[in-house]
Amino acid sequence: MSGAVTDDLLGVCGLTHAYRGRPALEGVSFAVRPGEVVAVLGASGAGKSTLFRCITRLIEPDGGEVRLHGTDLLRLPRRSLGGARAEIGLIFQQFNLVRRLSARDNVLAGRLAEVPTWRVLARRFDPADEQLALACLDRVGLLAQADQRADRLSGGQQQRVAIARVLAQQSCVILADEPVASLDPAAARQVLDILRDIAREQGIVVLCSLHQVDLVDGFADRVLGLMGGALVLDVPVGAFDAAARTALYEPASKP
Amino acid sequence: MTSPAATRVPPARVSRQRVGRAGILVLVVVAYLVAARLAEVDLAALAAGVPRMAEWAAKAWPPSTQGLDTLLLRAAETVSMALLGTTLALVLAVPTAVLAARNLTPEPWLRMPVRWLLNVFRGTDAFVFAILFVAAVGLGPFAGVLGVGLHTWGSMAKLFAEAIEGLPAGPLEAVATTGASRLKVVSFALLPDALPGLTSVVLYFLEFNIRASTVLGIVGAGGIGQELKSSMDLLNFPRLFTILVVILALVTVVDQLSSRVRARLG
Repeated sequence: MSGAVTDDLLGVCGLTHAYRGRPALEGVSFAVRPGEVVAVLGASGAGKSTLFRCITRLIEPDGGEVRLHGTDLLRLPRRSLGGARAEIGLIFQQFNLVRRLSARDNVLAGRLAEVPTWRVLARRFDPADEQLALACLDRVGLLAQADQRADRLSGGQQQRVAIARVLAQQSCVILADEPVASLDPAAARQVLDILRDIAREQGIVVLCSLHQVDLVDGFADRVLGLMGGALVLDVPVGAFDAAARTALYEPASKP
Repeated sequence: MTSPAATRVPPARVSRQRVGRAGILVLVVVAYLVAARLAEVDLAALAAGVPRMAEWAAKAWPPSTQGLDTLLLRAAETVSMALLGTTLALVLAVPTAVLAARNLTPEPWLRMPVRWLLNVFRGTDAFVFAILFVAAVGLGPFAGVLGVGLHTWGSMAKLFAEAIEGLPAGPLEAVATTGASRLKVVSFALLPDALPGLTSVVLYFLEFNIRASTVLGIVGAGGIGQELKSSMDLLNFPRLFTILVVILALVTVVDQLSSRVRARLG
């Protein structure tokens, strides 16, 4: 509605949602530029998952705007939502790969919106899509595992396949909801490094919730802090000091 | 010294518990007495019958090998009946299971009516259907195919729907949020994870139906059951013995094969 011309790729404005009358998001607003990596922090129940699910309309927000390339996703009719959703890639804590498919096929799943239905049913993908899938696997360092079944891969490898799936989807926004919560520290760091690098290389927006504050350093450009559904912090990572870290997880400061 | 005092229960409560237990015991005993009466349990008749059966068993030796080729043909008829009936059920069960599965149905309001319909078919035994179809399409294994097919349809669709509902929702949601259509999501993301479970259900019913089909001939629906009935009517015990051996061998072989294939799925 504001019509202001900015170079923001994703803009969230006054996003509000309530579960059975209890506010879960209270007027959250922020904007993200291409290539920016934003960490979303906050205690459990602070509204991180709700924020992500509202952006993709997996749950319907009660009010606000979610602007992607200037288009408000919340005003789109449900049937034309599919195309907009394809522009937002999701990374989940539990990876959510199809267990019995190979890593390559899981990455190809990111192309499904574009591929004609008969090709999906016949499992005959365009060579260009096959090439893209392999390139995406190569980008996350798993080309050698292309033909391995997803459930035979380690947790860190599965999450990297999930990142390759989002790359194949060619989204301009990646929402990662606790992507490293079930990984060991080394695998977690590797996954976050890949997310940061692809954001830089391809000008993708990465919005990533984390529950380990120390993972922010060397990963994010910017930190958003949620508390009780409200955005209480929006600072460059350099300004996210010890005092700010403590304040964000201090239950006493909650009204 | 504290524990006996702590566990001591007031006398009134103890007696109420005892009365309750005694009441349940009386109810169970009465239920069994009534059931025995209704089932016309008659131990004297059993005592008289056992020697007669022993006599038959003695007469059954040596088993007759006469007409063994006919028997084997009938056994093949039974297997064909089960195979085609199970296939018919599979064809009917796939679309109905999709309608009946909570996480897959395109029309949620249709879910309950479809489940009721499936329950009707599941609740009606293949035997009952076979009697109806013998009257409708005539004597022979085709009536058995239809009977087996309809009964199995209900059970198979129910187990299919449960297998589909038991799949994790995460991968489906992940693929659906890429903007892919429902058909693409189902064929690419759901089917690979569901297939071993569904195959196992089909094999189970094939195995079950081969056992069930061995007796359908008794109501005229063909197969080895027909030979069973005629030998019984003629009190031809040596032949009856052979038939039972053939059935046992058939069922054992099928069970072994099926369980081996199922063990490989996974």
